[in-house]
Amino acid sequence: MTKVITIDKYVITFLRFQVVSIRCPCSFNSNLKTLLEMASLIRQIFTKLNIPSQFKTQNVIFKSLSAPSLVSGSHRLYSNQPTPYEVIDPDAQKNVNQEIFQQVNNQVESKNQGRLFAVVHVAGKQFKITDGDVIVIEGYWPPDVGDKITLDKVLLAGAANFTLIGQPIVQKGLVKIEATKRRKQYMRINFYRIPQTFLRINSVEIVGELNNPPEVRGLETAIF
Amino acid sequence: MVFTTAINFVRSKGPDEFWRKRKIFKIAAAFRGRSRNCYSLAIRSVHRALVYATKGRKLKKIDMANLWETRLQAACEQHNIGYDIFRESLSRLNVMLNRKAIVDLACWEPYTFKALTDVARKKSLR
Repeated sequence: MTKVITIDKYVITFLRFQVVSIRCPCSFNSNLKTLLEMASLIRQIFTKLNIPSQFKTQNVIFKSLSAPSLVSGSHRLYSNQPTPYEVIDPDAQKNVNQEIFQQVNNQVESKNQGRLFAVVHVAGKQFKITDGDVIVIEGYWPPDVGDKITLDKVLLAGAANFTLIGQPIVQKGLVKIEATKRRKQYMRINFYRIPQTFLRINSVEIVGELNNPPEVRGLETAIF
Repeated sequence: MVFTTAINFVRSKGPDEFWRKRKIFKIAAAFRGRSRNCYSLAIRSVHRALVYATKGRKLKKIDMANLWETRLQAACEQHNIGYDIFRESLSRLNVMLNRKAIVDLACWEPYTFKALTDVARKKSLR
Protein backbone atom coordinates (compact mmCIF):
# COMPACT_ATOMS: atom_id res chain seq x y z
CA MET A 1 0.00 0.00 0.00
CA THR A 2 2.09 2.90 -1.23
CA LYS A 3 0.45 6.29 -1.14
CA VAL A 4 1.86 9.56 -2.36
CA ILE A 5 0.23 12.79 -1.26
CA THR A 6 1.26 16.36 -1.85
CA ILE A 7 0.83 19.03 0.78
CA ASP A 8 2.07 22.49 -0.25
CA LYS A 9 5.45 21.85 -1.73
CA TYR A 10 6.19 18.60 0.04
CA VAL A 11 5.78 15.21 -1.59
CA ILE A 12 5.21 12.49 0.98
CA THR A 13 5.43 8.76 0.34
CA PHE A 14 3.68 6.27 2.61
CA LEU A 15 4.02 2.56 2.99
CA ARG A 16 1.43 0.97 5.26
CA PHE A 17 0.87 4.08 7.35
CA GLN A 18 4.56 4.62 7.92
CA VAL A 19 6.11 7.69 6.44
CA VAL A 20 8.80 6.44 4.13
CA SER A 21 10.11 9.64 2.68
CA ILE A 22 9.35 13.33 2.71
CA ARG A 23 10.80 15.25 -0.14
CA CYS A 24 10.96 19.04 -0.18
CA PRO A 25 12.58 21.26 -2.73
CA CYS A 26 14.58 23.32 -0.22
CA SER A 27 17.52 21.81 1.67
CA PHE A 28 16.53 20.44 5.05
CA ASN A 29 18.37 22.24 7.81
CA SER A 30 17.27 21.87 11.38
CA ASN A 31 16.28 25.40 12.18
CA LEU A 32 13.21 26.27 14.13
CA LYS A 33 10.99 27.23 11.25
CA THR A 34 11.44 24.04 9.23
CA LEU A 35 10.86 21.82 12.24
CA LEU A 36 7.63 23.58 13.00
CA GLU A 37 6.59 23.18 9.41
CA MET A 38 7.27 19.48 9.72
CA ALA A 39 5.11 19.33 12.82
CA SER A 40 2.24 21.03 11.11
CA LEU A 41 2.66 18.80 8.12
CA ILE A 42 2.17 15.71 10.23
CA ARG A 43 -1.04 17.13 11.64
CA GLN A 44 -2.29 17.88 8.16
CA ILE A 45 -1.41 14.40 6.98
CA PHE A 46 -3.32 12.83 9.83
CA THR A 47 -6.40 14.90 9.15
CA LYS A 48 -6.20 14.21 5.46
CA LEU A 49 -5.95 10.47 5.91
CA ASN A 50 -8.32 10.30 8.89
CA ILE A 51 -5.81 8.50 11.08
CA PRO A 52 -6.39 8.68 14.87
CA SER A 53 -3.92 11.01 16.46
CA GLN A 54 -2.45 8.37 18.77
CA PHE A 55 -0.61 6.83 15.84
CA LYS A 56 3.08 6.92 16.50
CA THR A 57 5.37 8.38 13.92
CA GLN A 58 8.28 6.04 14.37
CA ASN A 59 10.58 7.34 11.73
CA VAL A 60 10.32 11.04 12.37
CA ILE A 61 12.41 12.50 15.18
CA PHE A 62 11.91 16.08 16.22
CA LYS A 63 11.93 17.74 19.61
CA SER A 64 8.87 19.28 21.14
CA LEU A 65 8.86 23.03 20.62
CA SER A 66 6.87 25.82 22.13
CA ALA A 67 6.17 28.60 19.72
CA PRO A 68 3.23 30.62 20.83
CA SER A 69 4.37 33.64 18.86
CA LEU A 70 3.86 31.90 15.55
CA VAL A 71 0.18 31.16 16.09
CA SER A 72 -1.97 33.46 14.02
CA GLY A 73 -5.54 34.23 14.85
CA SER A 74 -7.52 33.51 11.73
CA HIS A 75 -5.81 30.61 9.94
CA ARG A 76 -4.11 28.27 12.39
CA LEU A 77 -1.34 26.53 10.56
CA TYR A 78 0.62 25.63 13.65
CA SER A 79 -0.78 24.02 16.77
CA ASN A 80 0.14 24.61 20.38
CA GLN A 81 0.30 20.97 21.26
CA PRO A 82 3.73 19.48 21.70
CA THR A 83 4.36 17.05 18.86
CA PRO A 84 5.07 13.46 19.85
CA TYR A 85 8.71 12.49 19.64
CA GLU A 86 10.82 9.48 20.26
CA VAL A 87 14.39 9.57 21.46
CA ILE A 88 16.31 6.88 19.65
CA ASP A 89 19.73 5.98 20.94
CA PRO A 90 21.81 5.50 17.79
CA ASP A 91 24.37 3.37 19.60
CA ALA A 92 22.08 0.77 21.12
CA GLN A 93 22.00 -1.46 18.05
CA LYS A 94 25.72 -0.97 17.53
CA ASN A 95 26.54 -2.27 21.00
CA VAL A 96 24.47 -5.36 20.50
CA ASN A 97 26.20 -5.98 17.19
CA GLN A 98 29.64 -5.56 18.74
CA GLU A 99 28.78 -8.14 21.38
CA ILE A 100 27.70 -10.64 18.78
CA PHE A 101 30.83 -10.08 16.70
CA GLN A 102 32.98 -10.57 19.80
CA GLN A 103 31.30 -13.85 20.65
CA VAL A 104 31.59 -15.21 17.15
CA ASN A 105 35.21 -14.16 16.82
CA ASN A 106 36.07 -15.88 20.08
CA GLN A 107 34.38 -19.02 18.92
CA VAL A 108 36.17 -19.01 15.61
CA GLU A 109 39.53 -18.43 17.25
CA SER A 110 39.13 -21.29 19.67
CA LYS A 111 37.94 -23.48 16.77
CA ASN A 112 34.82 -24.20 18.71
CA GLN A 113 32.20 -23.76 16.07
CA GLY A 114 31.96 -27.31 14.75
CA ARG A 115 30.78 -28.04 11.25
CA LEU A 116 30.20 -25.05 9.01
CA PHE A 117 27.80 -25.00 6.11
CA ALA A 118 27.55 -22.45 3.33
CA VAL A 119 25.28 -21.50 0.47
CA VAL A 120 27.51 -20.98 -2.51
CA HIS A 121 26.71 -19.72 -6.01
CA VAL A 122 28.37 -21.83 -8.72
CA ALA A 123 27.69 -21.77 -12.45
CA GLY A 124 24.43 -19.92 -12.05
CA LYS A 125 22.98 -22.18 -9.39
CA GLN A 126 23.00 -22.03 -5.61
CA PHE A 127 24.00 -25.01 -3.53
CA LYS A 128 23.92 -25.56 0.20
CA ILE A 129 27.16 -27.37 0.97
CA THR A 130 29.26 -28.55 3.88
CA ASP A 131 32.48 -30.55 4.29
CA GLY A 132 32.54 -33.79 2.35
CA ASP A 133 29.65 -32.99 0.03
CA VAL A 134 29.58 -33.90 -3.65
CA ILE A 135 27.70 -31.53 -5.94
CA VAL A 136 26.95 -31.86 -9.65
CA ILE A 137 27.54 -28.90 -11.94
CA GLU A 138 25.93 -29.03 -15.37
CA GLY A 139 27.26 -27.49 -18.48
CA TYR A 140 30.60 -26.26 -19.62
CA TRP A 141 32.94 -25.55 -16.68
CA PRO A 142 36.59 -24.74 -17.32
CA PRO A 143 38.43 -26.28 -14.34
CA ASP A 144 40.16 -29.55 -15.13
CA VAL A 145 39.99 -32.93 -13.41
CA GLY A 146 41.93 -33.03 -10.17
CA ASP A 147 42.09 -29.24 -9.78
CA LYS A 148 41.79 -27.74 -6.35
CA ILE A 149 39.34 -24.89 -6.37
CA THR A 150 38.18 -22.27 -3.88
CA LEU A 151 34.55 -21.28 -4.23
CA ASP A 152 34.26 -17.56 -3.74
CA LYS A 153 30.64 -16.53 -4.12
CA VAL A 154 29.44 -17.39 -0.64
CA LEU A 155 25.90 -16.11 -0.14
CA LEU A 156 25.47 -17.31 3.39
CA ALA A 157 27.53 -19.26 5.90
CA GLY A 158 26.56 -20.76 9.21
CA ALA A 159 27.32 -23.04 12.09
CA ALA A 160 25.36 -24.45 14.98
CA ASN A 161 25.33 -21.13 16.81
CA PHE A 162 25.48 -18.39 14.22
CA THR A 163 24.78 -17.50 10.62
CA LEU A 164 26.47 -15.00 8.40
CA ILE A 165 24.02 -13.63 5.88
CA GLY A 166 25.69 -11.97 2.93
CA GLN A 167 24.32 -9.00 1.03
CA PRO A 168 24.60 -10.40 -1.57
CA ILE A 169 27.83 -12.19 -0.77
CA VAL A 170 29.69 -12.57 2.47
CA GLN A 171 32.89 -10.51 2.72
CA LYS A 172 35.28 -11.88 0.21
CA GLY A 173 38.17 -13.34 2.18
CA LEU A 174 36.08 -14.50 5.09
CA VAL A 175 34.77 -17.94 4.18
CA LYS A 176 37.10 -20.37 2.48
CA ILE A 177 35.63 -23.34 0.63
CA GLU A 178 37.97 -25.82 -1.01
CA ALA A 179 36.89 -28.32 -3.62
CA THR A 180 38.36 -30.89 -5.98
CA LYS A 181 37.00 -31.71 -9.39
CA ARG A 182 36.08 -35.21 -10.54
CA ARG A 183 34.63 -35.45 -14.02
CA LYS A 184 31.72 -37.60 -15.25
CA GLN A 185 30.10 -37.71 -18.78
CA TYR A 186 26.39 -38.38 -19.32
CA MET A 187 24.52 -39.31 -22.51
CA ARG A 188 21.10 -37.88 -23.24
CA ILE A 189 18.53 -39.66 -25.34
CA ASN A 190 18.64 -37.61 -28.47
CA PHE A 191 22.35 -38.07 -28.67
CA TYR A 192 23.30 -34.81 -27.06
CA ARG A 193 25.65 -34.88 -24.11
CA ILE A 194 25.50 -32.27 -21.43
CA PRO A 195 28.83 -32.35 -19.65
CA GLN A 196 28.38 -32.77 -15.94
CA THR A 197 30.98 -32.42 -13.27
CA PHE A 198 31.17 -33.83 -9.81
CA LEU A 199 32.71 -31.52 -7.30
CA ARG A 200 33.82 -32.83 -3.94
CA ILE A 201 33.83 -30.16 -1.23
CA ASN A 202 36.85 -30.64 0.99
CA SER A 203 36.35 -28.00 3.63
CA VAL A 204 34.33 -24.94 4.63
CA GLU A 205 36.16 -22.61 6.97
CA ILE A 206 36.03 -19.11 8.32
CA VAL A 207 39.25 -17.21 7.93
CA GLY A 208 39.80 -14.03 9.88
CA GLU A 209 37.54 -11.95 12.06
CA LEU A 210 34.09 -10.55 11.58
CA ASN A 211 33.50 -6.85 10.99
CA ASN A 212 37.19 -6.37 10.45
CA PRO A 213 37.72 -6.19 6.73
CA PRO A 214 41.29 -5.84 5.48
CA GLU A 215 42.33 -2.33 4.54
CA VAL A 216 42.96 -3.13 0.92
CA ARG A 217 40.15 -5.20 -0.54
CA GLY A 218 39.91 -6.99 -3.81
CA LEU A 219 43.26 -8.70 -3.57
CA GLU A 220 41.90 -12.04 -2.40
CA THR A 221 41.76 -13.50 -5.88
CA ALA A 222 44.82 -11.73 -7.21
CA ILE A 223 47.75 -13.81 -8.34
CA PHE A 224 51.13 -12.16 -8.13
CA MET B 1 20.61 -72.71 -64.43
CA VAL B 2 20.59 -68.98 -64.35
CA PHE B 3 17.54 -67.25 -62.87
CA THR B 4 17.73 -63.69 -64.18
CA THR B 5 14.48 -62.41 -62.65
CA ALA B 6 15.09 -63.91 -59.22
CA ILE B 7 17.47 -61.09 -58.51
CA ASN B 8 14.71 -58.50 -58.97
CA PHE B 9 12.57 -60.15 -56.30
CA VAL B 10 15.16 -59.71 -53.60
CA ARG B 11 14.94 -56.17 -52.31
CA SER B 12 17.09 -55.22 -49.39
CA LYS B 13 16.75 -51.93 -47.58
CA GLY B 14 20.47 -51.80 -47.06
CA PRO B 15 23.13 -53.58 -45.09
CA ASP B 16 22.65 -51.36 -41.98
CA GLU B 17 19.08 -52.29 -41.18
CA PHE B 18 20.06 -54.36 -38.16
CA TRP B 19 21.99 -51.56 -36.51
CA ARG B 20 19.42 -48.90 -37.45
CA LYS B 21 16.76 -50.90 -35.69
CA ARG B 22 19.04 -51.75 -32.80
CA LYS B 23 19.32 -48.06 -31.95
CA ILE B 24 15.55 -47.99 -31.49
CA PHE B 25 15.39 -51.27 -29.60
CA LYS B 26 18.01 -50.05 -27.17
CA ILE B 27 15.76 -47.17 -26.17
CA ALA B 28 12.68 -49.40 -26.10
CA ALA B 29 14.32 -52.10 -24.01
CA ALA B 30 12.17 -51.50 -20.93
CA PHE B 31 8.86 -50.98 -22.72
CA ARG B 32 5.83 -53.13 -22.27
CA GLY B 33 4.70 -55.98 -24.52
CA ARG B 34 5.47 -56.07 -28.22
CA SER B 35 6.77 -52.51 -28.24
CA ARG B 36 10.12 -53.78 -27.10
CA ASN B 37 10.45 -56.50 -29.71
CA CYS B 38 8.57 -55.48 -32.83
CA TYR B 39 10.11 -52.65 -34.78
CA SER B 40 7.04 -50.94 -36.18
CA LEU B 41 5.44 -50.77 -32.76
CA ALA B 42 8.71 -49.85 -31.13
CA ILE B 43 9.44 -46.77 -33.24
CA ARG B 44 6.03 -45.33 -32.46
CA SER B 45 6.50 -45.85 -28.73
CA VAL B 46 10.05 -44.53 -28.85
CA HIS B 47 9.02 -41.36 -30.67
CA ARG B 48 6.29 -40.64 -28.13
CA ALA B 49 8.70 -41.37 -25.32
CA LEU B 50 11.21 -38.87 -26.68
CA VAL B 51 8.52 -36.22 -27.07
CA TYR B 52 7.43 -36.76 -23.46
CA ALA B 53 11.04 -36.48 -22.33
CA THR B 54 11.45 -33.15 -24.11
CA LYS B 55 8.27 -31.76 -22.63
CA GLY B 56 9.16 -33.18 -19.23
CA ARG B 57 12.40 -31.25 -18.97
CA LYS B 58 10.41 -28.02 -18.99
CA LEU B 59 7.72 -29.38 -16.68
CA LYS B 60 10.32 -30.52 -14.18
CA LYS B 61 11.55 -26.99 -13.74
CA ILE B 62 8.00 -25.73 -13.30
CA ASP B 63 7.19 -28.47 -10.81
CA MET B 64 10.28 -27.82 -8.75
CA ALA B 65 9.55 -24.10 -8.70
CA ASN B 66 6.02 -24.79 -7.48
CA LEU B 67 7.31 -27.13 -4.82
CA TRP B 68 9.75 -24.54 -3.54
CA GLU B 69 7.06 -21.90 -3.57
CA THR B 70 4.68 -24.08 -1.51
CA ARG B 71 7.38 -24.98 0.97
CA LEU B 72 8.45 -21.37 1.38
CA GLN B 73 4.89 -20.27 2.03
CA ALA B 74 4.47 -22.99 4.63
CA ALA B 75 7.76 -22.08 6.30
CA CYS B 76 6.84 -18.40 6.42
CA GLU B 77 3.49 -19.27 7.92
CA GLN B 78 5.16 -21.30 10.62
CA HIS B 79 7.38 -18.38 11.46
CA ASN B 80 4.51 -15.86 11.46
CA ILE B 81 5.67 -13.72 8.61
CA GLY B 82 3.97 -13.05 5.31
CA TYR B 83 5.50 -14.70 2.27
CA ASP B 84 5.54 -11.58 0.13
CA ILE B 85 6.85 -9.43 3.00
CA PHE B 86 9.63 -11.97 3.59
CA ARG B 87 10.74 -12.05 -0.03
CA GLU B 88 10.46 -8.30 -0.55
CA SER B 89 12.43 -7.50 2.62
CA LEU B 90 15.19 -9.93 1.70
CA SER B 91 15.46 -8.51 -1.77
CA ARG B 92 15.62 -4.96 -0.43
CA LEU B 93 18.41 -6.02 1.89
CA ASN B 94 20.22 -7.30 -1.20
CA VAL B 95 20.25 -10.89 0.09
CA MET B 96 20.21 -12.81 -3.17
CA LEU B 97 19.31 -16.30 -2.06
CA ASN B 98 17.05 -18.05 -4.54
CA ARG B 99 14.01 -20.05 -3.50
CA LYS B 100 15.83 -23.37 -3.74
CA ALA B 101 18.55 -22.27 -1.30
CA ILE B 102 16.09 -20.67 1.13
CA VAL B 103 13.94 -23.80 1.13
CA ASP B 104 17.00 -25.98 1.76
CA LEU B 105 17.81 -23.82 4.75
CA ALA B 106 14.23 -23.89 5.98
CA CYS B 107 14.20 -27.68 5.87
CA TRP B 108 17.66 -28.45 7.18
CA GLU B 109 18.87 -25.33 9.03
CA PRO B 110 15.90 -24.06 11.02
CA TYR B 111 17.88 -21.60 13.13
CA THR B 112 19.31 -19.99 10.05
CA PHE B 113 15.88 -19.69 8.52
CA LYS B 114 14.57 -18.13 11.70
CA ALA B 115 17.44 -15.62 11.53
CA LEU B 116 16.40 -14.79 7.97
CA THR B 117 12.80 -14.22 9.00
CA ASP B 118 13.88 -12.04 11.90
CA VAL B 119 16.06 -9.95 9.64
CA ALA B 120 13.25 -9.62 7.13
CA ARG B 121 10.76 -8.64 9.79
CA LYS B 122 13.08 -5.97 11.15
CA LYS B 123 13.56 -4.56 7.68
CA SER B 124 9.84 -4.52 7.01
CA LEU B 125 9.15 -2.57 10.18
CA ARG B 126 11.66 0.12 9.37
